[in-house]
Amino acid sequence: MPSPGKAAALTDYQADLQRIQSDLAELDEKTAFAEPIQSETATRYVYRLYALCSLNGDLIGLRAVEQSIDRAIQHLGPAEDLCLLKANLDFKLHRLAETKRDLALAPALASRRPARVILADVAFQEGHYAEARQALEALASEDSTWDVLARLAHIEGKMGSAAKADDLYVKAQDEITAKEMRSFAWIELQRGLLALARGRVRETLEHYQCADRAYSGYWLTAEHIAGLRGSPYHYERVLTEVNKPEVAQKLGEIYAKNGYQAQAQPLLAQALEQYLESAQRGEVHYYHHLTEFFADVVPNPQEAVRWARKDIELRDNFNTQTALAWALHRAGQSSAALPYIKRAVESGVNDAALLNKAALIFEAAGDWEAALECEHRVVHLNPHHAATAHAHSH
Amino acid sequence: MADHNDPNAVNSAFSDIDVSAADLYDLFGFPVNNDASGEKAYIALTFASVPKTGVFDSDILYRLQIHAAPRVAWPEAEGRSLESLLKYVDAVKEKYLGNFKASEIRVNIDKDQRAHVKFLNFPKTADFATSFETNKVNEVKTPDGQTIKAFIGGREEAFFNDLTGFFRSINYGPQFYHVPHTMLEGRELPIPKTLLELEGNDLFNFNPAEPTVGYTTKKNLPPGPYTWNGTTYKKDANGNFRFVYTGQDSRKGLNSNAIVFEIPLSFLTKTPATDRVVNTWGETWVLKASGKVAQIPDHPVLSENPIAFLRNFDLDEELKSYKLVDTDGQPFADAALSEREDSRQMGANNFWLAPVFVKRLAHLGWGFGPSISALGLKTSFNHDNSPISIHKTYSSVIEAFPRVVKTLFQPLNMPDNSWNPKGLNIPLRRAFEVFVPNVCAIDMDTTGTWPFGRRLEDQVATRFLSLFLDMEAELNGKKYHIELLNEQSLWDSAPIEPKTPPNPIKNDKEFLKEFPYLAEPW
Repeated sequence: MPSPGKAAALTDYQADLQRIQSDLAELDEKTAFAEPIQSETATRYVYRLYALCSLNGDLIGLRAVEQSIDRAIQHLGPAEDLCLLKANLDFKLHRLAETKRDLALAPALASRRPARVILADVAFQEGHYAEARQALEALASEDSTWDVLARLAHIEGKMGSAAKADDLYVKAQDEITAKEMRSFAWIELQRGLLALARGRVRETLEHYQCADRAYSGYWLTAEHIAGLRGSPYHYERVLTEVNKPEVAQKLGEIYAKNGYQAQAQPLLAQALEQYLESAQRGEVHYYHHLTEFFADVVPNPQEAVRWARKDIELRDNFNTQTALAWALHRAGQSSAALPYIKRAVESGVNDAALLNKAALIFEAAGDWEAALECEHRVVHLNPHHAATAHAHSH
Repeated sequence: MADHNDPNAVNSAFSDIDVSAADLYDLFGFPVNNDASGEKAYIALTFASVPKTGVFDSDILYRLQIHAAPRVAWPEAEGRSLESLLKYVDAVKEKYLGNFKASEIRVNIDKDQRAHVKFLNFPKTADFATSFETNKVNEVKTPDGQTIKAFIGGREEAFFNDLTGFFRSINYGPQFYHVPHTMLEGRELPIPKTLLELEGNDLFNFNPAEPTVGYTTKKNLPPGPYTWNGTTYKKDANGNFRFVYTGQDSRKGLNSNAIVFEIPLSFLTKTPATDRVVNTWGETWVLKASGKVAQIPDHPVLSENPIAFLRNFDLDEELKSYKLVDTDGQPFADAALSEREDSRQMGANNFWLAPVFVKRLAHLGWGFGPSISALGLKTSFNHDNSPISIHKTYSSVIEAFPRVVKTLFQPLNMPDNSWNPKGLNIPLRRAFEVFVPNVCAIDMDTTGTWPFGRRLEDQVATRFLSLFLDMEAELNGKKYHIELLNEQSLWDSAPIEPKTPPNPIKNDKEFLKEFPYLAEPW
């Protein structure tokens, strides 16, 4: 979202994009892999490629990055920085087993700090919450870098106290310099989500707007603001910057909800097509979007269950457990959903949206006591849950 | 030199980290008494010319801390023991951790490239501030009517040193190889440090077939092991050793940015007659993101919802908005003695590193000491007559101390008396005094040549190596001194190639005769 007064100048996002693209114009694939291959040149190239896709949210582009990383490893061997980048990429694409395998490629890599951070992320995604927290606390005690503090904040926000989580985010921000404004903005967005999870809409908007001031023109900030406002205009703005099926889906949902089916259908069809194309390529990172899509957007509960089962095979955590339980519930199999939703709730997660679904599933399955307990927790966590639910699903 | 390419957080030797304007290069300081206006201290802080020469990064804050005090002579009666060393360190600690508050010149440069300078905690005046143009000499009038000369701008890089030679001597991987940033043990590889090439040290010995490696190119890091199992120094067909140094200037033709002041001593202290030593050190701080957000003009839509942390900063609050990145006091205090670690970036408060210094000095001594002996010179380091450099690290300061006791305590002889133009009874300095605290101590009764300050023309890299010479020994009837390794005649008669002092003997551009003395940029 370009800020007023900056219209003529590049936004921070555009400036970063231009800088990376300029680097890549000077250092293209041919140059990077010119014989004899220089490890520093090739490594810098693949890092810049990854930085570009990471910045503009281009998950499809990551396939090309992956090929370049593999090419570099093929020629240069499993150098630590290449394997680390590969692990980052695989984690971004929800490929947890591959992430661990990447980190094992270079003998000493798993013991390095950046690798330990990713392994903690993997542990959390695999539902090993205590292990993840313990690993991150150990890393923070060695060096309290912003990225580790932010991860601890995320865990605390999901499974502990929101106030403590926000304190950790503030501490993380205190470690970030003016040379890392995108990181600062990202944490502002996380703080906004944390506030939103407690129903604090005004505070959420302030965090999002602060993120926009810190790092102007960032599509991710615009996407969050669009989610909060729930207006087609803001989502359309995001879609001018990035081609993301989940954004098209959200826009389609808003049109559909307001009775504009003609506008909604192409967008929803486009989103579904991209999700399915990705899955057909063997990618797994849209499984949870497919689950949600078939459970709630264009209901096809059996399909929702199918995708949810595939996702939970890869990542067995409170999110995938809830997604499968919800899909089963929507398919009229609330009893079958019970074991999954119980595991999710018993994980200790403090998420009003998740617990609200749990209450509905318990109620449908006849477990009134559990349903009531979940409803109480929803009210305690976010008294305004019903009013803010539309903005949660990032 | 001090600390090029450090600390690691802004280390340009790694492929994925850019050169930063926060990377301090050098701190120079010496007395200037060239007119009737009285004694003045010259202090110059140089750093990376980022974004470019004469243009400054507005996110960086520079601090020059200054404290004038009487000269203190080390009581020889204390003896040369670990106990006496720790007693000295405790005294330093007491001073710098007590109620001590240095005077400070705080500088930042705005986006329009105007310098904003605050003078804080000076003993004779209230705090005051000024601003002026960069890249020109300015005169700042103090509240008590004195004049401070100031220059903040681009200059020729005053550092002249065979940096590649130094990195070759310590087997510093990232200068020669692409070392993954994660691979901490790939920096100083576990090969003996040395002044003479080691037979079979193929990782670091100069290869005529690849003359640019370590200078303008790097190689792929071969698989390990990264050790050396030889027993001798490398010799050519004529029986000459191969020097790891070339005497070439690695920074030839380059520029830096600089903050330079010439300050009356009577402004720095109320008692200039007794406070004869001006201790100074420099720091760079980078603006925190939260501080930057606070500086961004508010969005009209946001003004109805003011962000909580928008506030007017007072001076203390200003510093809270920044993070310390780099510190520079003594040349080599970082690069040579504390392994260039981010967590060890500290100036005067580096007393707690004293044990680290002792252990590190012993580690270096096992490399450089035998090299010096092999050349037929006497060394201050006790290496038990080892015929070859050894890679040895210490976990215990008690174990390391006996090896370096002479290196630490011996008075550093000067080549002649020119450093002491008034002929005063000024004691020679010793290594431990020079490095703890990590400050440039400008002795106003001397010329300010290192280690009594640091003059622009001082070849400090070579003088640093002289710490490992035995200052009680003599050559041609004259005691060893800190300039000995800088004398061409020594190398002419040494069994070594190339026959050159380790580092260039002068800068690649003449310094100016007048303020700011640093040469015009290329």
